[in-house]
Amino acid sequence: MKTFEEKWTAWLDGELTGDELAEFEASLPDKPAAEAEKRDAHKLGAFLKEQLQDRAMGNEEFFHHQLRERMAADACATNAPEQTTRPALWPIGRLVWAGAVSLAIFCVCTFFVIREKSPSDQSEYLTQVLNARVDPALGPNATISMFESKEEKVTVLWTEGLQSLPSEYATK
Amino acid sequence: MHRRFYLLMGLMVALIFGDARAAGASQMVWSGLVIANNVAQPAEIPPELNRIEGTLKTWFGYNQFKVIGQSRKTLVTGSEDWLAASKYFSLHVDSKGETPAGYLLNLKLFQEKSVLLETEAKLGKKPLVIKGPQVGDGQLLLVLFVQ
Repeated sequence: MKTFEEKWTAWLDGELTGDELAEFEASLPDKPAAEAEKRDAHKLGAFLKEQLQDRAMGNEEFFHHQLRERMAADACATNAPEQTTRPALWPIGRLVWAGAVSLAIFCVCTFFVIREKSPSDQSEYLTQVLNARVDPALGPNATISMFESKEEKVTVLWTEGLQSLPSEYATK
Repeated sequence: MHRRFYLLMGLMVALIFGDARAAGASQMVWSGLVIANNVAQPAEIPPELNRIEGTLKTWFGYNQFKVIGQSRKTLVTGSEDWLAASKYFSLHVDSKGETPAGYLLNLKLFQEKSVLLETEAKLGKKPLVIKGPQVGDGQLLLVLFVQ
């Protein structure tokens, strides 16, 4: 079901025919005014058709040149982000390389840390006297004692009762 | 890229092995026959005994220490022997090997040709001092440490 506006537009364009045309024209309250409006619309249409025809471009080559340059610039602008983002995506080879370097650095650092730790551990080792004996002929009453002093950082084997010797034995 | 990778790996292995070798490098053992006594004007302590000067003075009560015989032995295999000797004394050290806790040493103090004292000791990072016989107004001390 067409509205009045649709029928009006179709009537102005001359697209109503037959019973539809007769029925619409009968429904018009003021047919002469409508006819006058139809004529004005036709005149306006003819005028617009005449005025809006394609005009010949005076500087066609320059316009096309400018247009191509603008398109090329737009194309570069859209491609540029792809080129900058591509290096950020590392290929597998580079990832492997980076992993190997990281692993190597880790191993070297670990080794140095462990090696530096070892001497401090070794420094805790006490010197120990496992056993000792004195020649009974040279020290029949000799006694032996062992001292391990963590504070003094020295281990001492203490003998008593060894035969005393003259001072000439202190010669180099 | 492969070349760089192999180069890096080679460098790493060389570092590790080089360092491991350096870590297990030879150590030097200083052995000395020391006469300790008390004098009015004590001579300066020998540089080898600087690190235990306080200990020696505290333990033995002397103010002068003179080295009458010494030896510096670099241990490569850990199974070596050497001698530190003076005119009348000699200290024979026989290293039986290296353990994680230190060198296992067999020590023999000779008074001329007689074994005066024999002992087995494990020499760690801390010095070993052995009190020997009285000599004149002083005392014979045997000192060993890893340098």
